[in-house]
Amino acid sequence: MVLLLGGCQLVEFSPNQAYVPTQERGLTRQQLTRLQTAPAPDDTIRFVFVGDTQRFYDETEAFVASVNQQPGIDFVLIGGDISDFGLTREFRWVHQRLRLLSVPYLTVIGNHDLVGNGRAVYQEVYGPLNYTFRYQGTQFICLDTNGREYGFNHKVPDVAWLQQQLTDTAGTRQTVVVSHVPPQDEDFDPAVVPAYTAALRGCNRLVFHLGAHIHRFTVGQPYQDGVTYLTTYSLQKKRYHILTVWGQRKYRLQTVTYGLDW
Amino acid sequence: MQFRLILAALVAAPLAVSASISSVPGALPDSVGVPTAPAPAGRVSPSNPLPWYRPNHVVLQTGGGLGMIAGGAGFSLKDRLDLDILIGYVPEKYAGSALSLASAKLIYSPWSLPLHDKLTLKPLSVGGYFSYTHGTINDEEPDQYQPGYYWFSTDTRVGPLLGSRLSYALPATASGRSRNLSAYYEFSTNDLYIVSYVQNRRGLSPADILTLSLGLKLDI
Repeated sequence: MVLLLGGCQLVEFSPNQAYVPTQERGLTRQQLTRLQTAPAPDDTIRFVFVGDTQRFYDETEAFVASVNQQPGIDFVLIGGDISDFGLTREFRWVHQRLRLLSVPYLTVIGNHDLVGNGRAVYQEVYGPLNYTFRYQGTQFICLDTNGREYGFNHKVPDVAWLQQQLTDTAGTRQTVVVSHVPPQDEDFDPAVVPAYTAALRGCNRLVFHLGAHIHRFTVGQPYQDGVTYLTTYSLQKKRYHILTVWGQRKYRLQTVTYGLDW
Repeated sequence: MQFRLILAALVAAPLAVSASISSVPGALPDSVGVPTAPAPAGRVSPSNPLPWYRPNHVVLQTGGGLGMIAGGAGFSLKDRLDLDILIGYVPEKYAGSALSLASAKLIYSPWSLPLHDKLTLKPLSVGGYFSYTHGTINDEEPDQYQPGYYWFSTDTRVGPLLGSRLSYALPATASGRSRNLSAYYEFSTNDLYIVSYVQNRRGLSPADILTLSLGLKLDI
């Protein structure tokens, strides 16, 4: 009886609970399957990058409407902070909107997604916190860089795992690393910064390192080592980026501004 | 649409109740139903009152954000105001870690309607709750964040609740106190859901932020 009622989510055991209906589980895998069934015709990839959907449900609807009007987009990348309080209902509210995108969407975990039992919620709804996928010869490495949420235990981000992915070059022409907290930020574990940036520096196929968290656009080479670090807007800013990557580490950045079309 | 009404009732009910008390001096709130009937659920016989520290009832419930299963005890004042203290539990399978919740509910039920010689309906219960959750994965160590890094508490929730209760009169105790077994439901929400709704009134509906609890109450 209790289980039956729990299944309908109205009888909520705790806002911090971490289970969702079966069809809403493992969304990363579901979205990747969708992505690989309709690959781009050439090696040029166009994807939308935006961060921090947290608590902006009205704005997310406007974002989806705008992205669905863009031609030639392969997928959407959400740079973390999907939720604000790390609660299951928030993840569901965001997915109910992003599932209306005409292209697949992928995520990386943000610090707000790790509040309370958010880690378990993210794993239930999306899947592993660190994962990679390859699309038309470009490898995307998405990883948890939210060191402060682990009390700076020197294990996040997992640099050994990152190294391993960076050396897995089979079928990879170039690589993009996607995070939430960029290494220049004080919420990134300072003890891990040298090893992390060195790993990126050592990868000559790296196009750039993507981040969100700071809610604004920045691009540059803060470590003067040839590695480009880019951060994007929060969804609330009603701006997002379209990144086009092709050839050998070639990329183009476009900014889209949209209004609420109500 | 009816959910908007429910939410409006959640907000308006306590106001309406207090207004009806103050505007009709001398009329007891429970006289609205059947003014002359003796209250069948009269809890304490004056000759044999419980000592103040003895709970009047035990409670068992599910949902409402207070546990997959939550049990406890409570006090009643004049058969209208209940203070229930609950300990709840959510197994790891449903939350990623086993959660223990301590909560307190204050519930005001102004009216009792006798339906039958043994059945009594309290059509409206309004109140609020406070809950504390122990055992979350990210438990916020003291030096993990600078003050105010997250403006909200990750383990303490508060929220309003609104429901009804149906009571069945059991044989009185040996010492002459009447006893009821009651079943109740309560719709509730919490501070974080309310904040989410208030800022997204186009995208979210009041139904999105409601939770339901179902429970039993037994007088002792």
